[in-house]
Amino acid sequence: MVALTERGLRDFDWQTAVLAILISFFGVWQIHNAVPSENYWSKQIFGIVIAFIAFVVVAFTDYRRLIDAAPIFYVGGLILLILVLTPLGVVINGQKAWVRLPLVGQFQPSEFVKIPTVLMLAKYFGARKSGILTLREALVGGAIFAGPLALIMLEPDAGQAITYMPILAAMLFLSGIKIRYVVIGTVLAAVMVPTAYIVGVKTGKIKRYQQERILAIIDPDRVDPRGYGYHTIQSVITVGKGGISGIKGDPETSQSVLKFLPEPQTDFIFAVTAENTGFIGCVSLLLAYALLLSRMIASARQASDRAGMLVIMSIVCGLAFQIFMNVGMALGFLPVIGVPLPLMSAGLSAILSTFIAIGFVVSVRMRRFVN
Amino acid sequence: MKIYDHVQNLGARVGAIQVIAFVLLAVLGARLYYLQVVKGEYYSDRAENQRIRLIPIPAPRGAIFDRKGRILVDSRPIYNVVISNDGLKQAAGPDKVVDYSQGLSLEPQFVTERLSVLKKQNEFESLVLKENATIEDIAWVEAHSLEFPELRVELQPQRHYPLGTTLAHVLGYVGEISPKQLESDAYKDKGFRPGDIIGKGGLEQYYDEFLRGRPGYKKVIVDSRGRVQSELETVPPQSGQDLVTTIDLDLQMTAEDQLAKSSTKRGVVIAMDPNNGEILAMASAPSFDPNIFVKGASTPEGRKQIAEYWKDETRPLLNRAIQGRYPPGSTWKIPESVGALQEGAITVAHSNMLCGGGITIGNKLTRCMGNHGSPPLDTAITRSCDGYYYRLGLKMGIEGIIKMVETFGFDKRSGIDLPNEKVPQTPKTWMKYVIKHEGKWSDIRTVYASIGQDTVVVTPISMLRAVSSVGMRGKEYIPHFLKEFKPIAAVGEEGDPNYIPARPGFTFQHPEPTIIELQPAQWDLVLKGMWGVVNAGGTAGSIRIPGFDIAGKTGTAQVAEVGKDTGKNKDHSWFVSFAPAYKPEMSVIALIENSGFGAANAAPAVKAMYESYLSRRDGGQPATQEVAAR
Repeated sequence: MVALTERGLRDFDWQTAVLAILISFFGVWQIHNAVPSENYWSKQIFGIVIAFIAFVVVAFTDYRRLIDAAPIFYVGGLILLILVLTPLGVVINGQKAWVRLPLVGQFQPSEFVKIPTVLMLAKYFGARKSGILTLREALVGGAIFAGPLALIMLEPDAGQAITYMPILAAMLFLSGIKIRYVVIGTVLAAVMVPTAYIVGVKTGKIKRYQQERILAIIDPDRVDPRGYGYHTIQSVITVGKGGISGIKGDPETSQSVLKFLPEPQTDFIFAVTAENTGFIGCVSLLLAYALLLSRMIASARQASDRAGMLVIMSIVCGLAFQIFMNVGMALGFLPVIGVPLPLMSAGLSAILSTFIAIGFVVSVRMRRFVN
Repeated sequence: MKIYDHVQNLGARVGAIQVIAFVLLAVLGARLYYLQVVKGEYYSDRAENQRIRLIPIPAPRGAIFDRKGRILVDSRPIYNVVISNDGLKQAAGPDKVVDYSQGLSLEPQFVTERLSVLKKQNEFESLVLKENATIEDIAWVEAHSLEFPELRVELQPQRHYPLGTTLAHVLGYVGEISPKQLESDAYKDKGFRPGDIIGKGGLEQYYDEFLRGRPGYKKVIVDSRGRVQSELETVPPQSGQDLVTTIDLDLQMTAEDQLAKSSTKRGVVIAMDPNNGEILAMASAPSFDPNIFVKGASTPEGRKQIAEYWKDETRPLLNRAIQGRYPPGSTWKIPESVGALQEGAITVAHSNMLCGGGITIGNKLTRCMGNHGSPPLDTAITRSCDGYYYRLGLKMGIEGIIKMVETFGFDKRSGIDLPNEKVPQTPKTWMKYVIKHEGKWSDIRTVYASIGQDTVVVTPISMLRAVSSVGMRGKEYIPHFLKEFKPIAAVGEEGDPNYIPARPGFTFQHPEPTIIELQPAQWDLVLKGMWGVVNAGGTAGSIRIPGFDIAGKTGTAQVAEVGKDTGKNKDHSWFVSFAPAYKPEMSVIALIENSGFGAANAAPAVKAMYESYLSRRDGGQPATQEVAAR
C-alpha cells in the first residue's frame, strides 16, 4: 500500500473521486425526493461514507498485488454465492439474492463478486503474450466467467447476470479477439435474442410476467395498464411529467410519493430524478456519467500494464452497460429488470461495490508511471 | 506503451468502446428529449388524471310541506358504503362479490348487479353499494381499507316519508335512475349518470327538476390504490327547492281515515278549492309506503315487499284519483244537465220530462228506480230520476252528449300536476269503434250513456273538476298541488367556474279558467237540484249539515248486471259535491269501490270532510309554520 505521502496525494485522481461523490450525493437528494417519509436517504449517506473509505483504501493499494491474490478473492466470491443458495440466503421479492452473515449483516454477493471476477479474468488475460486470442484462451476465460454467472442464475437473478456480460465481452474484445468473431457474435446476438424470445414463449420458459414486461416496451397501449406493464407505463409518465425543468410546487403529489411509481428509490431512481429535475437535471446527470467514463477510459489508455487496462475497461463497460439498461428501462424502451443505477440507486451493496470498482480504476491510474 | 501492439489494434478497440458508450448515452438523451420536452405536457396530464378524483357530494332534495308548513317529505342523513370504480378493472372477479357480500351482509346476487351498473359508469365514478350501513358495516370497511381501498363510507341524505302510506300516491317516491330511463330521450341529454336519484311517481317525479339539488364535489388527491391523500377543493352542493303544496294535512288525514273506515277500504276522496283548483286532500286506498321503495330497494325483504305491491290484486300502487276509471253513474247527470240547457234540449221554463218508471227500447225495458211522474230538471236531479235522463239523453242525441263531454273536458286530462294521469273514456272515444263493430250507434247505448254507464268511465278528478265548475257557475280551473317553490340562494361567487346561480321561487301560474257559458237562471236551476239532493229530501238528505248547505249528487255505478251486483261485484258508490251551495269554498268527491248505494257509503265520507273543514274554518288554531323554522 502506498503511504499517504505527498506524492500519493498528488497522484490521487481527484477528478474521478469528486465526480463519483457528486453523482452519489445527487442520488441522495433524489432518494429523499422518492420517499421523503423514510430514512433511505440518510442510510445512503452512511453507505457513501463507508464506500468512500473503501474507495480510498483500494485506490492507495497496489492493484497488482490484489491481482496477484485474485484466485483467493475469486474462490471467496464463489463461496459467498454458494452461501446465498444455502439457508443463510434471504429471499426478497421472490429472489434468493441476499445473504445474512454474522457481524457483516445483510448484503448482495452478486454485486461484489463482479470485482473478483474482473480481477481473475484480468490476471489470466493480462499474463498472456501479445497476439491474436486463441480459442483455448477464450475457453479458459469463459470458464472463469461461467462459475459466478452460473451461481447467480441459480438464485435466479437474471438482471444481475446480465450485468456480468459486458465484463467478459470487454476482456475478450481487448485481448485481441479477431474482429470477424466480434461481428459474428454481434450478428448472432441480434438473431438469437428475438429467436430465443419466441422459442421461450412457445415452450413456456419465459414466464407470463416476463412476456408482459417485454410487450409493454413494444406496444405499451395494448398491455393492461394495471398489469405487468404498469411499471413501464408509470415510469414513462413520471419521466414525461418532469418536463424541461422538473415539477414545481407540491412534492406531496409526486408520482413516487403517491406510490404510482414502484421501487422509486432503487430501480426507478432515474424516473424520480426526471420528475424532480426535468430534462435539464437528467442531461446533466448523463453528462456527469459521460465525464466519469471518459476519465476512466483515459486512465485505461495510460495504464502501465495490460491487466490494469483490462480491469479499468471491464469496469467501464460494466458501468456503461448498467447505466444504459437502467435508464433505458426508466424511459420505457428496455424491459423491466432489476438493475440498479450506479452511484444513484439506494442500497449499500450497490454503492459499496461501485466505489470499490472505481477505487481499482484510481489505483491503476496512480501507478501509471511505475514499472 | 508496450502493451499496445499493432496486431491487437488496442488503441482503436478502446476508442470503439468509448464511442459505443457515448452513443448509448446519446440515445438516452434523445429519448429523454422526446418524453420530457416533446410530450411533457401529455404525461403531465396523465399523471394529473390518475391522481385527481372528483368525489360527488349529493345535494339534499327540497322538502315538501303542506299548505300550513307541515312537513310531508324530508331528507335525513344516513351512512352509505360507496364503491368507486377505479380499482375495479384489476379486481373483476367473483371473489370480490363473495368478499363484499360477506363483509357487508349483502346478497351475492345484489352485489353482482351493483358491480355491473358500476362498470357502465365513466372511470373514477362511484356508486352506493350498501345504504343505511350499520356500525358493523362501517367497521368492516375501515378495517379492510388496505384490502379494498375502493370502498368508503359516506354520509349522504336519504329521502324520508314521515307520513308513511298517507298521501303516498301524491308524493310518489325517489329511486335510482334505471338503465332504461338513462337511455330514454327524456333523461339522456340532461347529464344523468348511473346511480343518480330521481323522483319516481307523484310530485317527486312531476317537480323533480326543482326538488333535485345540484350535486357538489370534493376534488381530492389519491394514491395509486385510490386512497384519499388530501383534499384540493370542495364545491358545496346546492339543495333542491322546498315545495309548499296546497294540501291541508288535516283534511288529508280525514280523507284517509274515511277510506280506512269504509266497507271495502278501497276508494278515493278528493277535496279541492273550486275557486282556484287547489287540491286540499287526495287520498287513494289501498296505499303503499314510499319508504319501502327508498330503503328497501337494496335489501331482499324490501324487494320482496315491492314485488308484492306490484302483484297485489287491489293495486295499491294505483292512484285511483287520477288513474282509476269508473262508470260515473248518476253523478254524470250534473254535467249532462248543463249540456242539455246549453244545447237547448230543455229550457228553464220547460224542463219537464216524463219518468215513466223507465223506458222501453225495442222490446227491452230499462227501469227507473221509482216513478217520478214528469218532473222538472231540479226534481230530476234531487230524486236522481233515471227515466228523465233516458229521455233527455235521447233528445240531446249522442252528438249532444259528446258536445257536453267536450264542454267539460272529459276528453282530456284535467292538467293536474301529477304524472301518468288517465283520460276518461266517453262515447266520443267509443263512437268509431262501436260503429265499426255494430254498424251504428244504437239508442240503448245513448240511454246508458245518459246515466253514466256502458261507454262512460271517468276518473274521480275529472268528475270533481266538472262538478266544481258547476258550483262556480261555469269557471273550470286546473286542479293542482303546487302552491309555491321556495327560492334557493346561489352557491359560490359569480364568475367562479363552480358558481351555481340562485334559483328563484315561484308559485303556480294560474291560467284563465275555462268558461262554460250558461244563463244565470239556468245555473240556478241546476244548483237548486243539487242543493235539494242534501237539503230538500233528496237522495243524500242524511248528510245535511245545518247552516252549511252542501250541494251534491249521489251516484251508484253498476259494475255488473242487476241481480249479480253483490259482494265483489257490488256497485261503486259515488258522491260529488261542493259547499256552501251558492258560494262554494270547497268541493269534495268520494268514491267507495264495490260498496253499494252512493248515498249510504260515499256521502258520509264527504260529510266528514266538510265537518273537518268546518272545525278549523273559524277560529281553528293555525298550524305552526315549519317552513319558517327551517
